[in-house]
Amino acid sequence: MDLDTYKKTWGNQPEETNSVSKIDIYKMAHSKSSSVVKWVFILGVLELSLGICLNLFIPDSYIDVYSDFNLIGFLNYYMILSYIIIVLFLILFYKNYKAVSAVDNTKKLMTKILRVRKTVKYYVYYNLIGAFILIIIINSVMFSNKELFAKTLNPNNLEVDINTLMSGALIIQIIGALMVLLIIWLFYKVTYGTLLKKLNKNYKELDSLEHLK
Amino acid sequence: MQKDLESKFLLDFEQNQNIVHKVCRIYTTNQDAHNDLFQEVVIQLWKNYSKFRGDSKFSTWMYRVALNTAISLYRKSTRSIKTQDIDNFAYKIKSSEYDDTEELQLKSLYKAIHELNDIDKALIFLYLEDKPYKEISEALGITQVNARVKMNRAKEKLKNILNP
Repeated sequence: MDLDTYKKTWGNQPEETNSVSKIDIYKMAHSKSSSVVKWVFILGVLELSLGICLNLFIPDSYIDVYSDFNLIGFLNYYMILSYIIIVLFLILFYKNYKAVSAVDNTKKLMTKILRVRKTVKYYVYYNLIGAFILIIIINSVMFSNKELFAKTLNPNNLEVDINTLMSGALIIQIIGALMVLLIIWLFYKVTYGTLLKKLNKNYKELDSLEHLK
Repeated sequence: MQKDLESKFLLDFEQNQNIVHKVCRIYTTNQDAHNDLFQEVVIQLWKNYSKFRGDSKFSTWMYRVALNTAISLYRKSTRSIKTQDIDNFAYKIKSSEYDDTEELQLKSLYKAIHELNDIDKALIFLYLEDKPYKEISEALGITQVNARVKMNRAKEKLKNILNP
């Protein structure tokens, strides 16, 4: 049987018996959306605010350590810069989110949704690279002042070999950094991975059409 | 003003809701998911209704928003999907003026469409609804040439499923 016969059958199919009344349409129109974009938005806001929260809740004693190394001024500048960048990201993120509209054509809509997601991705990259650079700077300052660093690590002046102490500190930092990376990667895999799996697949499918010629 | 807009929307939607039901039938396989998607389409249509200028027909606009919602915005319900529902839910249609052969044909057509990917579903749906290539390419955001090529492939896939 050819498709035209099926097309005719399709055209003849009767209307849905469960037609929805105006009252129900009204109720539906005013209910909350649970679209993919909304979830991308909520996750994005959570991530952006996580950066801010981390900055706010760093305990003072942690900062005190750096004052011995004259790093406070530098850290303050870094903090101000971070806030400016976070605000810029928030503006960009919100603008991209607002641009998403179901009225666009399918390809444009997908591109826009993926752009919202990308803003968050770049924010995370920025945070990781920023943290990496910060750790390098702080460590090189601290390691270049061995005696003071040893004193900070060993305030009670226990008898420990200074080199063991410092390599221990270095190893702990590396393990810590790797664990943070692993957690972030897992978080992404679970959240955006599941959320955007379908979208990415459809986008690839539609995008492959452009290379058909 | 808002009230006028609202009542106009409700009227427009009520008259054209069958389009959305059809989209829901091809993109979902059980009644819960059908209702979820239907609701999300209503939300998206209403959200954008103030932007609808009337330079195209409401139904044309509805096709686009409904397909976009199904393809890109709708998040599959986390509820477990019972495959046995497929046979029962989608075809609760008035069968009085409809003969058995056509009903069986329609059943196998829906079943075959369910096996296509999301983009092919959209292409086949627009073909079945007799939409011109200009409208199809505009809705999907691809060129007319690509729409034709892709449509032929989608039709081929559908034919193979229908007549293995």
